[in-house]
Amino acid sequence: MIYHELSVWTRGIIMDKEARDVANCIANAAAKVGFHSQMISDYVDDPDRTNCLVRKYARFSDEPIEFKFIYENPHPNWVVLVEETLVKAVNFFRGTADGSGVLVVNSAREPEYLLKFLPEYMLQKLSKLVAVDAVSLAEQQGSSPWMFVRDLGQLAYDRMSTEGANERSAVGIGIAAPLLGALTAATGVLELDVVADTVEERDAFYRGAENHRVLDYAETHKHMQEAAGSPVAGTPA
Amino acid sequence: MSVKGTKIPVELRLPLAGVTPAPTEQAGQELFPTGNFRFFRPVYRDKMPPCNHACPTGENIQRYLDYVKHERFFDGYMTIIDDNPMPAVTGRVCYHPCEGACNRKDHDEPIGIRNVERFLGDFGLELADNPIKDTVPPVNGKRVAVVGSGPGGLACAYHARRLGYRVTVFEALSKAGGMMRGGIPHWHLPEDVLNKEVAKIEDLGDIEMKYNTRVGEDVSWDDLKDFDAAFISVGQDVGRKLPIEGNDLRGVVGGLEFLREAGFNRPVKVGKKVLVIGGGNTASDTARSALRLGAEEVTIVSLEAPDELLIVPEDLEQAKEEGVQFKTNTACARILGNDGVVNGAVLCKARLEKDEGGNVAPQMEEGTEYEVDCDTVMISIGQVQHLDWVPEGLRDERGLIRTDPYGRIDGNIFAGGDIIRGPAMVVDALGDGKRAANNIDKVLNGLELVPESPVEVMPYERLNTAYFRHAPRIEAPVLPPKERVTDQKMEVTLAYDQEQAVGESDRCMSCGVCNGCDNCYIVCPDVSVVRDQRENGHYSIRTKYCKGCLVCVQECPTGCLEKVPELDFDEEGDVTRMETAFSVFDGSHATQSVPIAKMHEEAIAEYDASRRAKVDAGKGEK
Repeated sequence: MIYHELSVWTRGIIMDKEARDVANCIANAAAKVGFHSQMISDYVDDPDRTNCLVRKYARFSDEPIEFKFIYENPHPNWVVLVEETLVKAVNFFRGTADGSGVLVVNSAREPEYLLKFLPEYMLQKLSKLVAVDAVSLAEQQGSSPWMFVRDLGQLAYDRMSTEGANERSAVGIGIAAPLLGALTAATGVLELDVVADTVEERDAFYRGAENHRVLDYAETHKHMQEAAGSPVAGTPA
Repeated sequence: MSVKGTKIPVELRLPLAGVTPAPTEQAGQELFPTGNFRFFRPVYRDKMPPCNHACPTGENIQRYLDYVKHERFFDGYMTIIDDNPMPAVTGRVCYHPCEGACNRKDHDEPIGIRNVERFLGDFGLELADNPIKDTVPPVNGKRVAVVGSGPGGLACAYHARRLGYRVTVFEALSKAGGMMRGGIPHWHLPEDVLNKEVAKIEDLGDIEMKYNTRVGEDVSWDDLKDFDAAFISVGQDVGRKLPIEGNDLRGVVGGLEFLREAGFNRPVKVGKKVLVIGGGNTASDTARSALRLGAEEVTIVSLEAPDELLIVPEDLEQAKEEGVQFKTNTACARILGNDGVVNGAVLCKARLEKDEGGNVAPQMEEGTEYEVDCDTVMISIGQVQHLDWVPEGLRDERGLIRTDPYGRIDGNIFAGGDIIRGPAMVVDALGDGKRAANNIDKVLNGLELVPESPVEVMPYERLNTAYFRHAPRIEAPVLPPKERVTDQKMEVTLAYDQEQAVGESDRCMSCGVCNGCDNCYIVCPDVSVVRDQRENGHYSIRTKYCKGCLVCVQECPTGCLEKVPELDFDEEGDVTRMETAFSVFDGSHATQSVPIAKMHEEAIAEYDASRRAKVDAGKGEK
């Protein structure tokens, strides 16, 4: 049985669409190759508050999905952080099986550096840590290098765009494309070309698929975990 | 303070819960009061203003302009004299590198920093007591020798004395001041101002001035080694000779020698038609002094083209107003005489060729020679110094003393001023003296001399210029040319009055330094900026409530607020997760880390104490 849950953590309004695109494209691509798939946007966290933590979910399986009507992912094993400081913010591995979590972080820093922000109980669940510098790999918009360097004028425009009222309708643009590339390449469950068909900015997608750094945590720390008596789980529940 | 890991309660870690509590839920608000919004954090971090950086003495210009703006002149004066012992002198004669670096020049016009400095310097001279005396510690028993009482020597003596050393100054002439007395004319720097500034330094006590003592004749190099340390700042006071025919005729004088005679109030005579040869500031001062001493026609003959003249623009303009004539791109081929007295000169067209090494060579054009009438020729083409008394290996071929990057020549012997850098500004020598005194202090305490750490200079682009209305520079009043050329002792540029000084200081943009403008306090939408005083106080960010919207950073007029990625807030060996992260102190004016809870506790304690005092007083009455 193949069953994967993707939780995308992002920040309200100013990075809302990027996270929605990541979840949408994975769910769409999985449906195209015959999986049962779902994508759910999140309204629990007050997503109309700028910079507030917001989640987007996708899940797909080769059998009908057991948790179809459960709103939030109970056992996420793929986690994407659209913004790097989320790595020290919350426990995004709640419910993840030990040693199965793939974490993709949009960051120009090395994965080894990001690792130190994870406490022990999250490291236990980590399988791979992927760092992708999506900001520089994305298609550059105008004079400002996309997302994190924006002036107040751009921010005001974002604030008007609450819940997609005023934004581009194309799916898979901006920093979402390289993030999707890195996620697809690092997990290896879906084929790159299949996901690429659902993404608007294909070049940025392939750039992300090629240029990311993977830290195989479960492999390198296996003996330590065994010594500690915590068995590495195989498949998710 | 930092706690590894989140503070998520145990009951919320149940696997089936599957989610972190949302900020809207009770449990979420216990985790972080306003939710986890922030990924950049505003931090107060003062940068180096460009004026401060450009000043060789490192005067804290932003700070004293801020004091003057609030009419706190005494605080402003005490700020200056930390770095510069003679603000009344530099306020008149400095070529103000600070104003050249001022960010305001990109906005409208640079701030008249020198004029404000002069205002503060005059303020200090008029104080009844010498406030510097209170800052001087008792002597520590070690002795420092200073050779030369020019700006470099006096600055070194002043700073060394403030560091606790007993100082002996050797001066070859009968009065202190060096080039400030013997090179700068009275109409630029009045004699009594210089005397008062020198007297204030001597007044500190334990500074012994030995006049009429020339090192090399009365005192030898080896005598200096009797002291714990020495500072050589003899300057360059011998005018260079012009190697042409007729340079030994009567009526040919060195410009510098002429200025020195005039500066020491000795009688000097000039002819009616004066030719000044040279294209620098000394030539300009010589020419303008000659005008005041009775010359009818003064002409500056320079190899430099009009735009290459090494004269400060305002001096050049004033010289032209006073009627000094210029013959640029011209050389003097020979000086003509009759019975050994000058009666004319032969000039020709020429230009100055510079090679890549910076050496200059005059190129005369053949066949362009012509004669002019004159009865005095003054030579101002540079200065040298006789250094026969300095050991052989320490001099270089240009007649300068060789030093390492810290101004040290040998062991505990340092040097500074014109003798290490060639003709330069008064303020350069003052800076060298300050540096030498600090380095002497380090060496005598057995510390290593290390290069200064690089600083971040605030560029104009990082200021929020929307907050600075355009305002013209307030120019210092200047006497009209016809009046001022009549007297050698009449000061040309006049001082700011109090209103002008305050107005000019008010134009300062306080580049990169918090000046307590309250803007961050006002614009913060989450009331996360707190201040400890009503006005001009210290600010801190309540990191529990700051959402990182960065409005304060965008709107900070001075640019002292910066955004710093949250991931940069780590501590050695331990991870600080966001909800437990706290800020570090940085910056001199605004503090970052005053915990708001502590401020409350202090306020409550203070209130309690006052209540208790009242109750106790009531008991006493009964």
